[in-house]
Amino acid sequence: MTLRNDSKATLGCFLALVTGLIFLGGCGGSSSSSSSTSTPAANNTAAVTVGFGPLGAAGGIVNGIYTSVTVCAPGTSNCETVDNVLLDTGSAGLRILNSALTTVPASSLGTIKDSSGDQLQECVQYGDTSYSWGPILVADVELAGEKASSVPIQVIGDNSFAVPSQCLATPVNPNLPNGGNEDTLATLGANGILGVGAFGYPLDCGSYCTSSSYLTQSGYPYYVCPAGQACSGTTVPYNLPSTSSNPDYQVTNPVAMFSSADNNGVLVTLPSIPALGAANGTVSGSLVFGIGTQTDNALASSATVYALDEYGNIPAFTYNGVSYTSPTNFSVLDTGAGALLFLDANTLASSGISECADAPGFYCPTSTVPFTVTVSGAINTSGTGTMTFNIMNADTLFNTNNAAFNDLGGDSGTSPASDFFDCGLPFFFGRSVYIGMMPGVFTGETAAPSGASSTYGYYAF
Amino acid sequence: MLSLGTVPAWAVLGQYESSVSVDQQYLRSEDRVQAFQAYKVHQLTTASGTIVREYISPQGLVFGVTWQGPFMPNMQQLLGSYVTNLQTASPAQTHVRHLRGLTVKTNDFVFVNGGHMRFWKGSAYVPSLFPSNVSAEVVR
Repeated sequence: MTLRNDSKATLGCFLALVTGLIFLGGCGGSSSSSSSTSTPAANNTAAVTVGFGPLGAAGGIVNGIYTSVTVCAPGTSNCETVDNVLLDTGSAGLRILNSALTTVPASSLGTIKDSSGDQLQECVQYGDTSYSWGPILVADVELAGEKASSVPIQVIGDNSFAVPSQCLATPVNPNLPNGGNEDTLATLGANGILGVGAFGYPLDCGSYCTSSSYLTQSGYPYYVCPAGQACSGTTVPYNLPSTSSNPDYQVTNPVAMFSSADNNGVLVTLPSIPALGAANGTVSGSLVFGIGTQTDNALASSATVYALDEYGNIPAFTYNGVSYTSPTNFSVLDTGAGALLFLDANTLASSGISECADAPGFYCPTSTVPFTVTVSGAINTSGTGTMTFNIMNADTLFNTNNAAFNDLGGDSGTSPASDFFDCGLPFFFGRSVYIGMMPGVFTGETAAPSGASSTYGYYAF
Repeated sequence: MLSLGTVPAWAVLGQYESSVSVDQQYLRSEDRVQAFQAYKVHQLTTASGTIVREYISPQGLVFGVTWQGPFMPNMQQLLGSYVTNLQTASPAQTHVRHLRGLTVKTNDFVFVNGGHMRFWKGSAYVPSLFPSNVSAEVVR
């Protein structure tokens, strides 16, 4: 079995947008015309809702946060708005279920092919050992009044090729539905994922996918599948800003490709909710594009700004006198996680936390436990700040049949050696949280506002 | 060049230290050894920057492994026969954090994986293979 092919190892030299490219010049939204023109400010606010999502209560998802994304055939006004797309500050790039594209089917989007005519595919892995598999296609993407042209997106579940074994070298745990394949609404619980994470740069692979030396690594994401052969890893260049002569090919956070100046991050604002939660369909908030670019997204003077480290993590946090330091114990702000995934029940036993007997991994303290976590990396204060939150009995919360909770907690690992803090959606209620991308790295990306300068992106709240 | 097809599914976790060298070859990595009083650690770094640590008991058995890197490593390679424990864990032994992470806890196998794009990390260990007076906390 040959996993390498020299002509494929340098795919980037031969990549061509087979459709879409010829329309680029005429579509008016080319990202090369970004910040120098003075156009009226775009409507930069998209609505978000929190709840069970498209599967309803039976789907078992709480604290899902969803928005709508408009996908257009490149260079055309042939557009379709897809609702129930998961807003995810824990990933980068737009992924849409093939089944959610109906009036603008995948076949109407631009394709990316190598010199042999083989189409670019991606197997994206998730931390729970699940995965999504499908081609990288090119679309114009609209979010509220913002537009991004020729955005590489993954259309998941639109694929007749077998998933490469190289991608699944980590076996899928049997308790994941559908063998860990997240290519359907039933498993994904959303019509897609809008990844707007900070993580240094707004790409899902970045420089790890531009060098041929990683092509045969387990878990490598990008492939081509020549007829009659196994899919093999391929390098994929990225170009930001994306232009007709230098298009971007990696799945990219569409926000970073906006033609407006609102391309340096997002602001997520959710209302406060009661301790026992809020019913499905009653919680809505806003996803504001840009930070410090319009009157509605100024970095609040009261906000503490935390610079992320080279891994895209908060550098360190301290709880109960114990310091947890990235990369061993990482922490992120993650709307894609439905709970406060904080340390583990044994470590938190002295704080009154115990694991639920009937819901493994969730926390069931007998009474609500307040937490104050000291966070390092603050760049506009004395170097540290605090995160405060409560954790309530998960059984009590689930018994309400509510769909949004600000105090749902669960474990991240099994001991301080493996623990982390995946700070999920509960933290976002009653707050305005800024997710700032790496400023100034890519030409055309609007710089961060004063006080938020950082090499690898930042959080502020 | 080695490929998936030419390397046997060598076990590491639960196997003797000699399997580390096979692993090293497979991972195309550099090896650094740290010796402690009750155990030693092989640290392997692959071309993509994935760091794998393998914890060796005085009896020469690998009692724990950790990983951290831009892609998830080949767990069949790292976990060896213990991959079965990952594949057969019951719902009560498993915490799936949808899209985010996975924890498996059985009497004789503990597995944690999590992270985000371009940064994955995790660990696995076998409690019964731990040297005496060594806590699970060393596997990090």
